[in-house]
Amino acid sequence: MWKDIRDREAGKLRPNSFANRVKSDRTSSLQLSNHKDIVSPHRGSVNSLQVDLTEGRYLLSGASDASAAVFDIQRATHSEGLIAKHQCIFAVDKQHEHGHKYAISSAIWYPVDTGLFVTGSFDHHINVWDTNTTQVVVNFKLPGKVYRTAMSSLATSHMLIAAGTEDVQVRLCDISSGAFSHTLSGHRDGVMSVEWSASSEWVLITGGCDGAIRFWDIRRAGCFRVLDQSQSQLGRRPPISGWTANKLSTSKSLLASQGPNMKSRIPHKKLGNGNATKPSSTGKLPAKGSTRQRLHPGLLSGQDRSVSHYGAVTGLKVTGDGMYLLSAGSDSRLKLWDVESGCNTLVNFETMRLQTNKPLQLATSQDSSLVFAPCMATVKAFDMWTGKTSLTLSGHYEGVNCCWYNFPDQFCNVPQELYTGGNDRQILVWSPSRNSTELWTRRIGNRLQTRITGATDCRQQGSLVSMVIPTTRLCSPCT
Amino acid sequence: MEEERVEESKVRVLIEKATNSTDSEVHPRLLKAIKSVVRNSDSELRVAAQTLMDLMKFDHSQVRYLTLLVIDELFMRSKLFRSLVVEKLDQLLTLSVGFRRNMLLPEPAAVASTLRSKAIEFLEKWNDSFGIYHRKLRLGYDYLKNTLRLQFPNIQANAMRRQQERMERERRSKEILLGKFEMLKGNFSSIKEEIQSTLDEIKECLDIVHSKEDARDMIPLDDDTTEEFRSVELRQIRLDALKGEMVHENHENKVIFDALRELYKLMSKHMVSIQEWISVLVRVDSTDVRFRDSALREFIDLQNSLRAVKRKCEELGCNFTENANHDDKDEDFWEEGPVGPTKNGGSFTSEKKNEDLVVELTSNVIKNADNSKTSGGAHVDNVVKNGEVCCSNSASSLRNKLLADAPVIEWGSFLNTWDSRTDILANQRGLELQSHWGRVDYDATIPAEKIAELNVRASLYKEDQPEIQPCRAPLRKGGLCPRRDLKVCPFHGPIVPRDDEGQPLNVSSTLDDTTPDLNIGSVEQLARQAVKNVRLRDKEAAEKREHDKKALKRAKLAKIREHNAGVLRDAALASTSISSALGENMETGGEGTGSGRNKKKTLASMLRKKVSTKDRLSRRLLGAKSSALTKRELTLNEDANYREAFPNQW
Repeated sequence: MWKDIRDREAGKLRPNSFANRVKSDRTSSLQLSNHKDIVSPHRGSVNSLQVDLTEGRYLLSGASDASAAVFDIQRATHSEGLIAKHQCIFAVDKQHEHGHKYAISSAIWYPVDTGLFVTGSFDHHINVWDTNTTQVVVNFKLPGKVYRTAMSSLATSHMLIAAGTEDVQVRLCDISSGAFSHTLSGHRDGVMSVEWSASSEWVLITGGCDGAIRFWDIRRAGCFRVLDQSQSQLGRRPPISGWTANKLSTSKSLLASQGPNMKSRIPHKKLGNGNATKPSSTGKLPAKGSTRQRLHPGLLSGQDRSVSHYGAVTGLKVTGDGMYLLSAGSDSRLKLWDVESGCNTLVNFETMRLQTNKPLQLATSQDSSLVFAPCMATVKAFDMWTGKTSLTLSGHYEGVNCCWYNFPDQFCNVPQELYTGGNDRQILVWSPSRNSTELWTRRIGNRLQTRITGATDCRQQGSLVSMVIPTTRLCSPCT
Repeated sequence: MEEERVEESKVRVLIEKATNSTDSEVHPRLLKAIKSVVRNSDSELRVAAQTLMDLMKFDHSQVRYLTLLVIDELFMRSKLFRSLVVEKLDQLLTLSVGFRRNMLLPEPAAVASTLRSKAIEFLEKWNDSFGIYHRKLRLGYDYLKNTLRLQFPNIQANAMRRQQERMERERRSKEILLGKFEMLKGNFSSIKEEIQSTLDEIKECLDIVHSKEDARDMIPLDDDTTEEFRSVELRQIRLDALKGEMVHENHENKVIFDALRELYKLMSKHMVSIQEWISVLVRVDSTDVRFRDSALREFIDLQNSLRAVKRKCEELGCNFTENANHDDKDEDFWEEGPVGPTKNGGSFTSEKKNEDLVVELTSNVIKNADNSKTSGGAHVDNVVKNGEVCCSNSASSLRNKLLADAPVIEWGSFLNTWDSRTDILANQRGLELQSHWGRVDYDATIPAEKIAELNVRASLYKEDQPEIQPCRAPLRKGGLCPRRDLKVCPFHGPIVPRDDEGQPLNVSSTLDDTTPDLNIGSVEQLARQAVKNVRLRDKEAAEKREHDKKALKRAKLAKIREHNAGVLRDAALASTSISSALGENMETGGEGTGSGRNKKKTLASMLRKKVSTKDRLSRRLLGAKSSALTKRELTLNEDANYREAFPNQW
């Protein structure tokens, strides 16, 4: 740590890489927080957790006792000694007149602001709630149990909720009209996981109980890609600059022009550095692209039947830059897919067991170097590119269902924390250990303390931190 | 480096030794040794934590239980150990509480249940004292309590509740005290006045009586030999002796005495109430300190003066309580019977004594009976009394005598005709039977003698078992000797009556009881008794001395034995690091050493209640000794064969 600071002082380290290094240091020292308790009002297993995307301050949880609750994770409601207790700001449950009858499987924020949130439940309903009045604004009735709902954080032209249900069809519910706008059919079994692409607002990724992961472009009919576990490439693609990556991912036609040379790189070379720091390379993509041209709309029947997992796909997660897709299956495997090529990257995530009968919620760290995956009663953090376990977080007494990693934005006024919810009704907070890095710790520690008491403004502290490390402000090219 | 490894192994060996036992507690010396070793260095503590966690996985509840006890000991003392254990708390709880369905607690069920309850208790204790420092501890506690809903002992909450209850009680009693205090404040003067007036009256009465009595007393005193009654005590005795006559002789005196008696009663009541008030004043914590102090002072003064007056009354020789009883003329009169004659024994002849004794014997019966006839005063002559007793109680005494003679017979239907003289109709049974055997004479009777003959009961002589008294000598470990021997207990000597604590009832006291009777007898008897007493006492003293000597010897022996055991234990402990390490190696190699195997057996025996024949046989056949024997035999045989086959090659 001190060496890094000296290097930074001497100008040997670039500001970005220094900031990233500090962040990843902190990430790798996550442990159960002793100073922050979330008092769970749930009486059933916690199925879904999400911190709002605008402020990074409100945690939404959905549990199987048909209750959903919102917590303020920055300001504690009260404290016992050194322990700050976060009680829920409000909770809706069965007693609510429009509440869900059965377990809530998924609760998400409206990505634009915290005025709305969406809950999907096993009672076949999706409710859209007004946060301020805690009333149901829009209500969708679906043909089966809702497993997962998703909204695109990029969307500027639509307000669609993608719903994966027991039914084979994926439905897109339009909040503005209150009706289904799309019905996407292609899966042969229920859909357990739904995820919007992080690079295009039109691309939806769904994983079904039939083991298939399908890509949909909602502007056109049918699915345009089915991931196949037998199609693989070794390692990562060479990095490309953020701008081109975004463009590439949105325009699929470019894929065809890529040369047939397959590049495989040793994964750990790139570790810890944001991709923006690398000089932009030629943007060579792997070979499989040549046949892609005519797949869509008439997908080959053979490819249509390909599967990505044996058994159900229980969890999907797109990395922050939108280039990779993580999937968890009931065959107890995590797989990392290259979104562009649709290939399995053959990263072997170390042996583990996953819950098979429930949708899982995975999380990644902000520079996509770590994957947090719930493995039975523990949460394991894997290195994204090598698959090695770097952390095992054990604190739950029963299986963990969901995790959410909250990373600091450019002003560093969001605590860098991991939240996990499990079958033992608890929501646990994992924060970087205080003695990992002395300087950082002292600063952050003070900051956290003052925040708990709520004495000072967050922005001010942000500037405080940025005074200590003057370059932090510049460090987020991809968020 | 080498040393450290030795030390490390020492911790492990100590822990393994401590947990390898069938006791319900860890051996305190071993525990102490573990603690002292662990205190010295952190690395050893780590080793200890590792070892303990490994031992918790042992497939035997007893081992887990002892391990848990050791863990608790260290947990309460070492911060590092806490952090190490808390890291693996879920594992520890799984192994000690056994809440996971696929990982239940292992075999001996009784130990497993104690293990579970102990673990839950410990968890609560840990959570209470260290919960704020360890999130995992809180989580585990919360999980077991709120999700699994296990029953926690709730020690702290209970203690708090008890405390609160006590406070409440105290508060209430304080309120009551305060109320009393207020009341006292209200009518303090009236109470004081009342008492004071009683006091004054008594004093006046006393003055009157005193003047009269002095006048009366002086005369007889002068009449008698003055030398004898100089001293106050003798005079007191004299007064006591004369008192009865005094009361009853002069009637003008009696009125005053009655008043005095009344006042005396009142005074004793006042004494009690003053005591109460004083205690109230002492206990109450009122703001009005001045009043409290002054009231307290006055009460104490009053009490003192009351006491003084009372003493004066008693000095006067008016034992009012006794007199009051005397006046009531109830059956207590009869208790004076035996006392009266002894008091002024000199004036009676010995013949009358015997009669008195008879009276004494019968008096027990008389007491319960109606004795309205014996309403005479104390001055009634003893002889007359005797006669009266005889005539008044003859009926009851006869009945008693008969009752004593009467046989005890079991209850039966034959008692219906007991002692009846009437004949009984033979054919009137209330059952109309058609008789086929000719005519029936309905008037046939069986004479009473015959009936009596028929009803003769045979009774067997039953030897009534005399109840053999237990020895009841005090035992060294507490309690009394329960042995029942006829005459002599083999451990505690002859059986003598003893009190509740096992001390033999004092022979001298029994002597005291007997002395008055003997006193009555002649001087020779007295002398004989004295000699007897002295002899008995001597004998007893000798016995006691012998006994003491024996006990001393025994105590000495026990001390020596204890010391030896301690030394041996120390030696064993000191040599553990090497010898049990050796044993350890041997055990991993194959058969354990004697001690190791022994321990194993005891632990295993908790698991396996019955040893089947097969086990016994296999132990016999596959034991180290026998297998070695067979091996040797085989090799010998082989050797012999070889030698026979190749006689020229060895």
